[in-house]
Amino acid sequence: MSEIAISVSHLSKKFFIGNHQSGDLRESFRRKINQVFKNEKGKKEPFWALRDLNCEIKAGTITGIIGRNGAGKSTLLKILSRITYPTSGKFEIEGRVSSLLEVGTGFHSELTGRENVFLNGTILGMRRTEIKEKFDAIVNFSGIENFIDTPVKHYSSGMVVRLAFSVAAHLEPEILMIDEVLAVGDAEFQKKCLGKMDEVTKQEGRTILFVSHNMAAVEHLCTGGILLEKGQIRAHGDIGDVVEKYLASETDAPNDKTKEISFGNGVIGRNFTLSHSSIAIHGDLSYSITIESPAVNQFTDLALLVYNHLNERIGVVDLRHQDLLRRSALSRTFTVSGKIRGLPLIPGTYLFGLYVVSFLCRGDFLNLKRLEIIKPKTEFVPYAEKHRGYVEFDNTFSIS
Amino acid sequence: MEKIVVDANKGSFSLNLKELYSYRDLFLIMAWRDLRVRYAQTFLGLAWAVIQPLITLVIFTIVFGRFVKVDTGGIPYPVFALCGMVAWTYFGFVMNQSGNSIIGAQEMIKKIYFPRLIIPLSKAVVGLVDLCIAFLMLFVLIIIYGVSISHNIFFLPFFFLLAVMSSLGAGIWLSALSIRYRDFQHITPFLVQVGLYATPIAYPGETVISNLPDWAVFLFYLNPMAGIVEGFRWAVLGQGNLNAVSYISFAMVAILFSTGIFYFRKVERLMADIV
Repeated sequence: MSEIAISVSHLSKKFFIGNHQSGDLRESFRRKINQVFKNEKGKKEPFWALRDLNCEIKAGTITGIIGRNGAGKSTLLKILSRITYPTSGKFEIEGRVSSLLEVGTGFHSELTGRENVFLNGTILGMRRTEIKEKFDAIVNFSGIENFIDTPVKHYSSGMVVRLAFSVAAHLEPEILMIDEVLAVGDAEFQKKCLGKMDEVTKQEGRTILFVSHNMAAVEHLCTGGILLEKGQIRAHGDIGDVVEKYLASETDAPNDKTKEISFGNGVIGRNFTLSHSSIAIHGDLSYSITIESPAVNQFTDLALLVYNHLNERIGVVDLRHQDLLRRSALSRTFTVSGKIRGLPLIPGTYLFGLYVVSFLCRGDFLNLKRLEIIKPKTEFVPYAEKHRGYVEFDNTFSIS
Repeated sequence: MEKIVVDANKGSFSLNLKELYSYRDLFLIMAWRDLRVRYAQTFLGLAWAVIQPLITLVIFTIVFGRFVKVDTGGIPYPVFALCGMVAWTYFGFVMNQSGNSIIGAQEMIKKIYFPRLIIPLSKAVVGLVDLCIAFLMLFVLIIIYGVSISHNIFFLPFFFLLAVMSSLGAGIWLSALSIRYRDFQHITPFLVQVGLYATPIAYPGETVISNLPDWAVFLFYLNPMAGIVEGFRWAVLGQGNLNAVSYISFAMVAILFSTGIFYFRKVERLMADIV
């Protein structure tokens, strides 16, 4: 199939910063009066979330939309799924569209699982008869058969997500648009969903648009990619190339700075930075953190903790040192910085935390930073995740 | 194959009723959800639907029936007042529900597309529960007081339809306005309260016509519910004649409903951006 499923031409979306379009009447009158008498246009500052976008997406392809935060990925998806209206430009879509910007839209806690399946399914655009047909499959897939007639308010949050996912996974539109909904739910179930989606697309030749930060998932699922930067398309083509371009643009951008980390008793961590937010396998990663105490406060332990997406601790970067003891005993602030060379972790998402022991505070402080590790595409399909273990050795070999 | 074309450069504007019809499943399930949730809140939810009009009725009967001695044309006062309240309670409930419906559904609006009009429209169905309860109370009173039901009763569906349209018309206006200006959220309860007295519920419309100058009567009947309440009473009890001025109200219903839908359609596109 090489028909065009989605064609976009000169699409733009403008927002106004520092100007709320909703508010009270008084506010609105004041603005109007200001406009008339002072001939000033308020404090409107236009911001182009998307600017003059042109692209065509072929039917039956899976396209990943990637880009940094604020690049316009979600806005594009919202426009194409008709949730918001473009400021100018035009697009055409051939086929029945479903969009998944979150799972469980419209779920009501007073209603039972069964009722919510019908409600949510209808909201997502399924016909009533269609839901009836698929009902058993949906419930089986979710694995909560026993609770299907219990009000959802008695479910655990995990169960709600599973049920909501199951409904979503059974959508059969010709065109599916997905925002990072796969970021929730337990890992096991996530994989099941990805598998299901993979299966369905390949069989039925659906067109999928997939917005994600998870480069591993994007590379695995998608055939094509679009890289957005500041509301414009920077690259469009084979997913491998697009991800590579994205990474190249990422390298010089430091991981966004975290706000202050409070360790307790007034001890604060500032400017905890990792040099990258995504990095190719065996790349070098620099880190630094400044710690401030209200009084002189000796640190006996300090370590970086590294967790994988299953919340297993993968490693510890030990930062205990004579200098740490000395420096923290003398001064109220000190900075630790360093570099991990050739990170040998398998592709995926990792979370960084800190372990701290000092006179004033102690404990584990988790989920402070996120790091994505990506593997450039190779000739061979990588082994399935469960067989891959934890580390990827930096290995050279020859066959003779 | 379905085809979607969105072109922001063309200022085309259509009501797109065909699309609205294609989303009828969603309309039904949203209405059903509201009904179901209202029932799920057990007995008290329904009891409230009885207690509220009952208390108002008792107060009206004491104040207007006993103290003021309103001329009801020979109809026992409680029957007279309740007949007006049936229409008004439905109106107040639906206007309030659909007026707040878009703000209440903002999470959904930000996450998925569907014709937004479905949301306020679906609220007309929930009000039917309360309407049925109110009618039941009315017929109990009619039996107790031995009042005979008029032949005009066959016109009741027509007035009921007008009541649905006017409550939705007001609700759609309020729902669209209240996303832009939150103040309108506070206006609804006020409207319901003022309207209870500004509509000929506790007293007959003739009182207004004979006691006020023409221009004031005209203003009075700009209230769409004024004519509808009279219509209900005329249909059920055969009381009074339908005054010619009532047609002002009926015209207002048409205006309110159609302009409401047009305005809603106009701001619909902005909703996800400004809620």
